[in-house]
Amino acid sequence: MKAFEYLSKIDRRIIYLVIGVVVILPLIFPTVERVRVMAPAQSLFNAVDSIPEDMVLMIDFDYDPQTMPENEPMAVALLRHAFKRRIKVAALSLYVQPLALALKALDQVTEEFNARAQTSADSIIYGRDYVLLGWQPPPIVPLLEMGISISNVYSTDYYGYRTDSLPVMQGIENFNDVGILVSISGGNAPLWWVGYSQVLYGVAVGAGLTAVSASDFYIYYQTGQFSGLMVGMKGAAEYEELVESKLQVPGERKASEAMPSLTAAHLAIMVFIIIGNIGYMMRRRI
Amino acid sequence: MNMSFDFWIWVSAFLTLCVFSFLYKDNPFYKFAEHLFVGASNGYLVTIIWHGSLWPQGIRPIFTEGNWWLIIALIIGMLYFTRFFPRTSWLVRIPIAIVMGYGTGAAIPATIQADIMRQIQGTVLTPQNFARWNAGSSGVIWTILLFIGVACTLSYFYFSREHKGVLGVTSRIGVVFIMIGFGAAFGYTVMARISLLIGRLQFLLGDWLGVLQ
Amino acid sequence: MKKRIPLLLVLIFGIAGIIPYYSQYPLVQNVQSFIRNDMIRIIAAFALVLGLGSLLKVHFDKIRRHRENWEYSWVLILSFVVTAIIGLFGGRTGGGMLPTSIGSFVFNIQVIYENVNVPLGSTMFALLAFFMASAAYRAFRARSLDSTLLLVTAFIVMLGVLPLGNRISHHLPSFVQWIMDIPNVASKRGIGFGIALGSVATALKILLGIEQKWLGGTR
Repeated sequence: MKAFEYLSKIDRRIIYLVIGVVVILPLIFPTVERVRVMAPAQSLFNAVDSIPEDMVLMIDFDYDPQTMPENEPMAVALLRHAFKRRIKVAALSLYVQPLALALKALDQVTEEFNARAQTSADSIIYGRDYVLLGWQPPPIVPLLEMGISISNVYSTDYYGYRTDSLPVMQGIENFNDVGILVSISGGNAPLWWVGYSQVLYGVAVGAGLTAVSASDFYIYYQTGQFSGLMVGMKGAAEYEELVESKLQVPGERKASEAMPSLTAAHLAIMVFIIIGNIGYMMRRRI
Repeated sequence: MNMSFDFWIWVSAFLTLCVFSFLYKDNPFYKFAEHLFVGASNGYLVTIIWHGSLWPQGIRPIFTEGNWWLIIALIIGMLYFTRFFPRTSWLVRIPIAIVMGYGTGAAIPATIQADIMRQIQGTVLTPQNFARWNAGSSGVIWTILLFIGVACTLSYFYFSREHKGVLGVTSRIGVVFIMIGFGAAFGYTVMARISLLIGRLQFLLGDWLGVLQ
Repeated sequence: MKKRIPLLLVLIFGIAGIIPYYSQYPLVQNVQSFIRNDMIRIIAAFALVLGLGSLLKVHFDKIRRHRENWEYSWVLILSFVVTAIIGLFGGRTGGGMLPTSIGSFVFNIQVIYENVNVPLGSTMFALLAFFMASAAYRAFRARSLDSTLLLVTAFIVMLGVLPLGNRISHHLPSFVQWIMDIPNVASKRGIGFGIALGSVATALKILLGIEQKWLGGTR
């Protein structure tokens, strides 16, 4: 009986240790696990891939350090997709903290492409291929005003250049010139784009979500309000898989590399839950 | 092992370990890290507010473009600071009323359209919804199941009558759907939390210690 | 007057917020642009500054009264002052009047954010993985049929979303996708209707002045 009592009273530090070990070991001794791409990520990939040449991909970076491990791989994969297909990118944030992370992701992917570029045409150049519009408070202003004019909200970009002077913004007036807006967020920002911008101006919206939000946001995917989704680290891994397999864009795949650790941790947690329930049921019978 | 000697990587690693030390127990390193986080975040916030908003949108246009009417907005904005003076603290309600009023008003049609009307459209039994699943004739079954699920879930939250008879049956079915929904949410939440840990360990083991292949 | 003016403002600007959904006349759009760009945008920036002021006030008070852990309030204030100076005078990525590099050593606000804010913020949330595992072990009990159903669904989703699920059975990921698309959507939509109706009702109450808690205080 003591064994069953112990089963439901394992010290929390042992649990922490086990979780730590099962996450660390697969990182140090990696295995290759290809992910199966599911419909939501495929839909988003297709939607981004079919942006017309005269339109722009708008990316709303709305994740902060707290959700960076899930959201940053999504942003990086999306940027690789856009830059490979020479889709113009306009990046912005609805909040302050994500702005630095937007810059980080943009700099990382730009450096990757420019390291491989042979000519200026291959390179990714700020102002010609992408723009970081920046941040304007409160969120309601860009959500509603960009349907009238993007430069009304962002008359200057993050660096202080006039947005209407940048080649990438030539012919990009408002949401009618946005092929799709992808909101990569740790919170509810994608819902605001759907509720405000899409309702008023009809802009297509895609989302990169943390897994915590996934079950709540699926109702909008089912109605078609979201053109596609990347859900959690798995969704990021799926998009990385698509970008590498369909577009042959090499690069570090942080989300895909995490899959073995994720698997091990899930199994460990399931085992702990089962152990806890066994101990509980045995104690009930006594 | 290919340990980094970059100063900032070591700063990041040190701060990461300070926060992880909380797993053992609360300690001075964790408290230091916590307060540093709040201070540095707000320092960044002030930077972006000034360079991104107040100066280029609020103050500079008054002098360079002659947009004198922005002074009115600046004055209304400064009413926020009356909060610190008890005799005039009621004035803080004015800028709050303006910003909150506009946001609240804009939210009403947005919510009705996106969260109610479109959701109803996605639930009702129409040929468009049958075709949405790309599952041939199964699309009809899934749409009917979805409709039943939504109706039964709503019936569970109807507390004005006792859950007996027909309402008892539908609310019981609703509970089944709700449990499945919450189970799915929990499963994804586990993935989310573990992902955050993996991200940090990828930094410690990769960027700092250089042990990842 | 102290209540009436704010309540009147909330009604006027609330109606202003509703109008763009129902009128696309150029005059209406111009007025809306004025309200959003030349008023709300600037006013809202001050709200953030106010939050900052309140934070500093709380910590200065803590230091003055020597409350528990008051020494750490100095850490907060000093780190705020240093990063604010570097950011305000050094520019967002350097290039300001304050130099933010010495040779190859760079310390502009972007570098500070990536190497101080990012590790601190992300590690604080990484702790949740441990707490969640411990909490799931202690509290997640199959006490009834309903909780067993929840548990089983969670296990299926946890397995099915990963590559392991695909190796166990090729149908498992599709089954998980089906769970997300049908039962999950059904339950969350039902709950979502309630939340949406409640938030519309609350919004209307605020605009019409029925809900006055946001005014704060009784004066």
